[in-house]
Amino acid sequence: MKKKNFIPLITLLLFSIGTTAQEYNQELIDSLITAKAQTLVARNSKFLISGYTNMTGKFSKDESSFSNIGLVPILLWKPHEKILVEAELELGLEGKETALELGYADVSYFLNKYLTVRTGKFISPYGIFQDRLHPSWINKLPTFPVGTGEDELGVGPTSEIGIDFRGGIPLGSSKMNYSIYLANGAQLITDPAEPGKQGTLSYGNAEAISKKLTAGGRIGLLPFSNSSLELGFSYRNGNVGDKNSIYKNIGAVMYAYDLTYVKQLDFLKGVIDVKGQWNKVNIDKADYVDPDDPTGNTTYTYDNKRSSVFAQGAYRPSMATSKFLKRTELVFRYAGFNPPDGAKDLEKVKQYTYGINYWFTWRTAVKLAYQNQKDNNAFFVQFAVGF
Amino acid sequence: MKRNTIIMAIAAMLTIGLVIASCVSTKVTDKSGSQLWSENCQRCHNTPPASAFTNTQWEVINTHMRQRAMLTETEYKKITEFMQAGD
Repeated sequence: MKKKNFIPLITLLLFSIGTTAQEYNQELIDSLITAKAQTLVARNSKFLISGYTNMTGKFSKDESSFSNIGLVPILLWKPHEKILVEAELELGLEGKETALELGYADVSYFLNKYLTVRTGKFISPYGIFQDRLHPSWINKLPTFPVGTGEDELGVGPTSEIGIDFRGGIPLGSSKMNYSIYLANGAQLITDPAEPGKQGTLSYGNAEAISKKLTAGGRIGLLPFSNSSLELGFSYRNGNVGDKNSIYKNIGAVMYAYDLTYVKQLDFLKGVIDVKGQWNKVNIDKADYVDPDDPTGNTTYTYDNKRSSVFAQGAYRPSMATSKFLKRTELVFRYAGFNPPDGAKDLEKVKQYTYGINYWFTWRTAVKLAYQNQKDNNAFFVQFAVGF
Repeated sequence: MKRNTIIMAIAAMLTIGLVIASCVSTKVTDKSGSQLWSENCQRCHNTPPASAFTNTQWEVINTHMRQRAMLTETEYKKITEFMQAGD
């Protein structure tokens, strides 16, 4: 009788153990699948397309057109807790053709609390305009200040290809930030076919044009505890001449000072935003083919030192009771360019730009501006949207 | 020589100012997420509302800003938590 009772009991026990084991295995498999799926979903969803777009109209005595139509998508991907991949594509219209440029494409590794290493093509940490203020939804005017672009009046680098070490460090109630990089050298333009560009530099070269790498960096100090003021100093030094040419030993030293002050002031019932940057580029003396001599046998030289400056002030009555006033912003900017003495086809430039903006959202604005510049006065309207 | 003296004097004044400011005010590490959000974003652009992005997007955007604005890890974490809490 006892035996008879034991047999079903043992059978039941074995069956239940088997079932539990099966359930346990199934649970384990399910949990592993779920975890894997979650990881994949999380990894894939840490991808984001951001960026901005703008349309600018220019109206002057000699020209009225809607130009400078741009779409700049920025791809951001965080595949790992300590890694960020970012790339900016610049799409624009040049006549009827669509131009595509790689603004930047780099990978960052967050090494520790205060140090990030990034490598690839990145915006040059030289001053503040290119690094922080150039996107149309951030720039408070429809134009760039003279001396900050990539044209023949540009004074200072716009982009670098190399490796950059950067970060922020708290100093009690103050703060500092730094960026130190090694990059490919800039290229000295010597072609007499472009007299205005002769003796200027192009940046962001993927080829090893010069003999050695270029070193540079920026240090910023935020002395006030509310971080309203930042003072920066940038420096860059390296060879710029083609290593296979007579210019191989030509070097360039450049430096810049920048200032940022942004603060909501109760007595003005709004936000004051002051920004400024002074740039200097010194290129070693070199002999250039005289573009005025059709035979190409004559050379000329000059002291190749150029500088530029901009100072900008903006006021937005953010504490006003009127919704319209709250969204309105007044801007003024002075910008200047000093060419090297003796350079061909380059003149001193002074720009005064007066603007009024209306912000529909925090990153969507319509900007109206009048720019006063010798022989080039113009009225601008720009619609800028960040996304 | 005269120019170098002026530069040195400005640098000395800045250092003294920095030391004084460091002694009397709130430490950066003691600041709240909202304070850091307000102070750091507006130095370059308008401050975004929390509703501008989802929680995951905030993580990616702020990682991007950690690198671009040279924020410390603590600042990045506090700002991200603040924006995610308000989403």
